[in-house]
Amino acid sequence: MTLLELTDVTASYGPVRVLEGVSLSVPEGGAVGILGANGAGKTTTLRAISGTVRTGGRITFDGRNIRGSRPDKVASLGIAHVPEGRGTLAQLSVRENLRVGAYLRKDRKAIATDLDYCLDLFPQLKDRINSRAAALSGGEQQMLAVGRAFMAKPRLLLLDEASLGLAPSTAKAVYAAIRRLRQESGIAMLVVEQNANLAFTLVDTATVLETGRNVLTGSADELKGMDEIRRAYLGG
Amino acid sequence: MDTFIQLVVDGLSTGSIYAALALAIVLVNQATGLINFAQGAMAVLSAYIAYAFTQAGLPVLLSILLAVVISFVMGAVVERFLMRRFERGDPDTAVVVTIGLLTLITGIAAWLWGYNNRQFPSLFPLSSVEILGAVVSVRSIATTLTIVAIMIVLQLLFLRTKLGLALRAVADNPSSAAFSGLPVGRLLMVGWGLAAGLGAIAGSLVAPQLTLTPGMMDTALVYALAAVILGGLSSPLGTVVAAWMIGILENLAAVYVPFIGHDLKIAVPFILIFVILVVRPQGLFGRKVVVRV
Amino acid sequence: MNRFSTLMRNRWVQLGLVVVVAALLLYAPLVLPVFANQTLIRIGVYAVAVLGLNLIMGYAGQVNLGQIFFVGLGAYVAAYGVNQDWNILVVFIASLVVPGVVGLLIALAAARLGGLAIAMVTIALPIVGVPLAKRLSDFTGGSQGTSARFSSAPDWTGLYNDQWQYYIVLVVAAAAFILARNLVRGKYGRAFTIVRENEAVASSMGISPYRYKVLAFTIASIFGGASGFLYLVAVQYTSPETLSFPHSIGLVIAMVIGGAGSIAGSLIGGAYYVLVPQLTNAIDPSFTAISQGVILLAVLFLLPGGLVSLPRVIRRLTRRRTTRSPQGDSPQTTPAEPPPADAAQEGPENTERQIRP
Repeated sequence: MTLLELTDVTASYGPVRVLEGVSLSVPEGGAVGILGANGAGKTTTLRAISGTVRTGGRITFDGRNIRGSRPDKVASLGIAHVPEGRGTLAQLSVRENLRVGAYLRKDRKAIATDLDYCLDLFPQLKDRINSRAAALSGGEQQMLAVGRAFMAKPRLLLLDEASLGLAPSTAKAVYAAIRRLRQESGIAMLVVEQNANLAFTLVDTATVLETGRNVLTGSADELKGMDEIRRAYLGG
Repeated sequence: MDTFIQLVVDGLSTGSIYAALALAIVLVNQATGLINFAQGAMAVLSAYIAYAFTQAGLPVLLSILLAVVISFVMGAVVERFLMRRFERGDPDTAVVVTIGLLTLITGIAAWLWGYNNRQFPSLFPLSSVEILGAVVSVRSIATTLTIVAIMIVLQLLFLRTKLGLALRAVADNPSSAAFSGLPVGRLLMVGWGLAAGLGAIAGSLVAPQLTLTPGMMDTALVYALAAVILGGLSSPLGTVVAAWMIGILENLAAVYVPFIGHDLKIAVPFILIFVILVVRPQGLFGRKVVVRV
Repeated sequence: MNRFSTLMRNRWVQLGLVVVVAALLLYAPLVLPVFANQTLIRIGVYAVAVLGLNLIMGYAGQVNLGQIFFVGLGAYVAAYGVNQDWNILVVFIASLVVPGVVGLLIALAAARLGGLAIAMVTIALPIVGVPLAKRLSDFTGGSQGTSARFSSAPDWTGLYNDQWQYYIVLVVAAAAFILARNLVRGKYGRAFTIVRENEAVASSMGISPYRYKVLAFTIASIFGGASGFLYLVAVQYTSPETLSFPHSIGLVIAMVIGGAGSIAGSLIGGAYYVLVPQLTNAIDPSFTAISQGVILLAVLFLLPGGLVSLPRVIRRLTRRRTTRSPQGDSPQTTPAEPPPADAAQEGPENTERQIRP
């Protein structure tokens, strides 16, 4: 059962076209990776889905066309975007950030349960629950960003460069928590990641972008075995 | 000593009016990053609306409340249909837009009600009471208390309610807030609406003293801006304290510094600003004042 | 169209045009009625004030809501000098220097705040200025104001007063416009633009935003003083009303409507400042303020470059309609209009509107 489907999606910033035609699909509960060099259009693909860039082509979520919808409308359908650079609310406390994540929900009890789960998933956040997000370390901010997205109880998580700027051990810890989240919640994920080694610990399939187009799509195992992928993205 | 106490109490009262207007300006700035130079003019229009209700025979309190509600809508409409288009652009252009709004609204008030002074009925009795041997007007005390009460309500709104949390989230980072499904545009409208409502209260409370004219709040706007600068844009509390300080200091200076007198007391906050700028460029309380990204 | 614009770019054609315009300007007052001359004089007076405002606001990007204060100051200094029987040249220089120094002092403090704080401080200038002018009555004549008759035409000229005043205004205004044009086309103009566009970039290039803001503000104040001197030439009387708050706002409106960041736009702005209120007052005085606001907002929505950009916009529209060849015309030398804001929607690209502490 396909949850998200992109067909020949184009996108541009002003006159500059960044996506020339990207197609991919994410099944319910699946995890798909997007690989590619800088400027290949990975981030823009996520932004096309969440409605923060002008887009052409066809984007359906759960059978509904969502192309051109506003970001808050996309979020209300069950897509949570963790943007590159984390995008926490800097002046708000950790608890407030998580409560903002649950803004669209009305079930107070379930929100409290999920908050506890979130703090169980990221124990570091528990100690800093009343600190301003700006005061957190990079790793903690990334955890908070993922936690905030989870608090929305989304059906699909868009994850952009969750390891960016983190120490290798921190990045691993973040991915371990996200893997656990995936197993326990069944949330589908679309993952942009520079570090393909990390990405392959999380995703089942992946697609490779080059200058705004898919050039290759396959299962994680297939791709890992390919020489050019190894050379370009796996460091040897 | 008697005069001194009276001057301080009166200063607190006018300072509270400046504080209300200054908070409205801070509210808009937090939400959209703009300085709304039309905030004072909008407050005057609100006061005229309240005045129109009193002329129609409604009680003063009800008239003011109705004006607050209408002003809320007015603020939201202004955000949606006028400011929205300029919010993401060059901040200088947005400032000029608010200048246009200032001119337009002042013009509307003058067109509907003329330039003659109108007597606005006071919400509070004009009697006075004795405190520590000084005769102090009830109106001053009541005005101060009203504004303090409103500030507490606002504080509770922002810190204790879901709407307040959402408003703060949008002020912090609108695009990030949208990813959590916050309707950013609607929340900005609410922010402008609240600011306009706050301005309506300030305008209605100061109108009995100043008498109602289209330019009534020009001076108050300047005081409020001074309070915003002194308080540092990031700190609502700092803004309020600065506004009170300005109210008290200008009152004292008017009486005790012969050259300043009542006509030149408007210069007091600016002398203050210039002195402080030399000593503490980041403002009294803020971390850093009005830096454009 | 194309042939016309190449023709216009020819040096000799340009020079010829300048000569024709200059001759017209010199000849006009001799044949025009008094009222027309007075109107032209007032346009010249305010065009200089708007020009100064344009330097600080349009070019250096610092919103200044107090320009009228310097106009008033210049007028008062000139009136004082005339009444003290100073040499007219000394009067003129004093009416430039005093506002310049005051502007420098204000800018030294206000520019420390950066961003919109300059606007927030300068809005106070007319509001403090009016009671100050009333208070310093020995110098200003208080609420009554002060008059100074010094601009009657000397006998040897054989001119009427309005014609003589016209020539004074023409000479000073022309000098101001030429100076401003050279300024913005040179090193300082480029520095102003960089400061306006991005202060961080300016700093990294060794251009101190603070210093250039102070410089631009001071120059604007001097232009304001010159405008004040001309005001006294034209009106021979000044009072606190000259520097009132609505007039200051009026200058900003005129500057934007004429065209921010354009020398020619300043002239249009001066004409707007004088003519349009005259027109709306004639129709119905109570509509003047409303119409000012409406016109300004309409211009900001439809013609953000001001009236001066109207020919360019029309040309672009007609070109779009007629030719759609990929080559099109020769590349435009003027910067393109900002893309029509799709901004009405919330959402896309809305990251950069915060004033971040």
